[in-house]
Amino acid sequence: MAHRVDHEYDYLFKIVLIGDSGVGKSNILSRFTRNEFCLESKSTIGVEFATRTVQVEGKTVKAQIWDTAGQERYRAITSAYYRGAVGALLVYDITKRQTFDNVQRWLRELRDHADSNIVLMMAGNKSDLNHLRSVSEEDGHAVAEKEGLSFLETSALEATNIEKAFQTILNEIYHIVSKKALAAQEAAASASIPGQGTTINVGDESGNTKTACCST
Amino acid sequence: MQDKNLYTIRAVPFTDVRSIRRHTPAFGWQYIIVVLSSGLAFPPLYFYNGGVREFLATVKQHVVLLRSAEHANVFPVNDFQNPLQRTLSSLELPRAVSLSIVPSMPVSGGESASQENGERTDVDVLDGSPSIRQFYRRERQKVHDPARDISMQVLEKFSLVTKFAREATSQLFWETPTNAFSHFERGSSNLSAIDSSQKPRDDVLELPVPPDPLELDKLSLAWGKPRQPPLGLEEWATFLDSEGRVVDSKALRKRIFYGGVEHKLRKEVWEILLGYQSYESTYAEKEYQRSNKKTEYEIIKNQWQSISPEQEKRFTKFRERKDLIEKDVVRTDRSISFYGGDGNANLSFLHNVLLTYSFYNFDLGYCQGMSDLLSPILFVMEDESESFWCFVALMERLGPNFNRDQNGMHSQLFALSKLVELLDAPLHNYFKQKDCLNYFICFRWILLQFKRELEYDQTMRLWEVLWTHHLSEHLHLYVCIALLKRYRGKIIGEQMEFDTLLKFINELSGHIDIDVTLRDAEALCLCAGENGSACIPPGTPPSLPREDGFLFNSELDDTVL
Repeated sequence: MAHRVDHEYDYLFKIVLIGDSGVGKSNILSRFTRNEFCLESKSTIGVEFATRTVQVEGKTVKAQIWDTAGQERYRAITSAYYRGAVGALLVYDITKRQTFDNVQRWLRELRDHADSNIVLMMAGNKSDLNHLRSVSEEDGHAVAEKEGLSFLETSALEATNIEKAFQTILNEIYHIVSKKALAAQEAAASASIPGQGTTINVGDESGNTKTACCST
Repeated sequence: MQDKNLYTIRAVPFTDVRSIRRHTPAFGWQYIIVVLSSGLAFPPLYFYNGGVREFLATVKQHVVLLRSAEHANVFPVNDFQNPLQRTLSSLELPRAVSLSIVPSMPVSGGESASQENGERTDVDVLDGSPSIRQFYRRERQKVHDPARDISMQVLEKFSLVTKFAREATSQLFWETPTNAFSHFERGSSNLSAIDSSQKPRDDVLELPVPPDPLELDKLSLAWGKPRQPPLGLEEWATFLDSEGRVVDSKALRKRIFYGGVEHKLRKEVWEILLGYQSYESTYAEKEYQRSNKKTEYEIIKNQWQSISPEQEKRFTKFRERKDLIEKDVVRTDRSISFYGGDGNANLSFLHNVLLTYSFYNFDLGYCQGMSDLLSPILFVMEDESESFWCFVALMERLGPNFNRDQNGMHSQLFALSKLVELLDAPLHNYFKQKDCLNYFICFRWILLQFKRELEYDQTMRLWEVLWTHHLSEHLHLYVCIALLKRYRGKIIGEQMEFDTLLKFINELSGHIDIDVTLRDAEALCLCAGENGSACIPPGTPPSLPREDGFLFNSELDDTVL
């Protein structure tokens, strides 16, 4: 085939990038999707998104990553984009204490607008600017632990941990979704009409499976 | 006949037509009035040489048209169940080729026939239209279509109908099937780089696109005036009296509307267009204003400059604002040499003006996007104080876009939705079906007045045209519609969902021809006329805010968000 058709994927996961203005969300996005970094990239107005297809446990997963304006003023607009998101990467800038302190506000924002089962990860970005650091890695870990988030320090400039951060989120989403798919499969099997070659699982466990929110 | 803007060739599907009313006055020309099911009636379509009966007979071949029991001159168009079958059988074609091309569009524009006639304004369409006819001929050769040939025979019977009506009707007969494809061609050639295939789309090209009721290319030929070269120094002098007053501000604004101004004149002209200097001011008065305003600027600037580090430590709000401005200044138009390089003094000017503005308008403060709006102004003014006051004048109009409740943006997005409904009902319905009526896809277009979509010089050109407020204060909304209509074939043909649509719109950035778009926008604005103005709530930016502070009510609020 001359062209690989873009829609050849098993799953489509929507992930939102959130965090204060200027912490590097757009560059994290461009690093992950296009392997690009631009020191003078413009501020994000409204919402943009980009996609990248990756392999997760042998499945083709298309990650659709939404980049939102960071300024609080635009919350009314940007929060509308949380709908349908199954993952979120909450970014702060390790050189700007304020952006780390605002993590709590972002978590509240997510609780208010996003699905409660959204897979969340926190990233302390600009780790290349260690000499300007105002948030220690320990502080990051402490908050992450307290809030039950995965955590990594990243650098979009040096391409440190960007791949890893998204892989972690995508893996986690995939596990939830595949578990859910399995449950749905079992439920469907048990509900289907007998005599068509399907095995009815009498001891169906799907009712006990923790159902995830995620939908593709 | 009150408003010539109402007169336009507009295709309307018969499904939207409730009735046709015939008028045969004892004196004067016969005319018909087409009444839509929405209750809206088009202006009279005059038949200067007779032909109303033939017209109705031809219509009758396509839809069921019965004389109303109550009024002998009213012909309701039936609300039939299966229009495709009816249409096919009533056409009695060997094989209705053109209709089979658009299978899921039973009542396509192919049979619609609602035209209006203007006494004066139709001149362009009638006589100055070799290109239109060539276009038809070309299209016709491209696809040999028996249905069209029959349509032609039917049209021959119209020889008594005015030339205008014939032209318009033939357009309606011919345009539908090729319409969609021409859009595809246009879209794909312009945007080959854009990946818009987000979902399985094996059958992309099979999807029918409802015909555009106001097709841009033809509309612009009829309405849009050719763009002119920018206003130059010599011509500018002709607008001024010996002391530097603008003699005829309306004529000046109109001139700039059609061509913009040469860059070296921008500083002088922008100050007036923005309202920082007045049209009536003499050279001396302008100079006086400049010096007064400079002092005033320095006073406001000094308010933040005099904040000591100790004070700043205890002034969170100030620190936050300064921080935000600093973050944005270093990423505003750095690719332009005026703002490029390290330690560029122009960056400090940007910073100073923005921070001063956030003190001048402390309630609004600084919002992302403002640096984009200021950048071309500073580029043109090359002076802090002058830039500041021009920016102040601009923000008088655009400030509500940055309000916390975003009411300025909401009212514009709401107006945009209403205008699309008026000017392209099929596209409106498509957005409705895809849950895109909030028009968030156009958020950046409106907030930054297309600054991120155009090259720098094109942005300046567009802005000065918009600031003339010639034709409408809200031409930018018609610019939005012109763009949406330009790509409607691609949008609907590829069945773009909200996400793909947003991506598509964002990636139009850098692919917009502003002259063509302005001409389209002008045509749309003229076409919409008063109906268009009625779609825009009073006080919608860039109109100056209403005195009572009312912008729009909760009902509108619900519709938009």
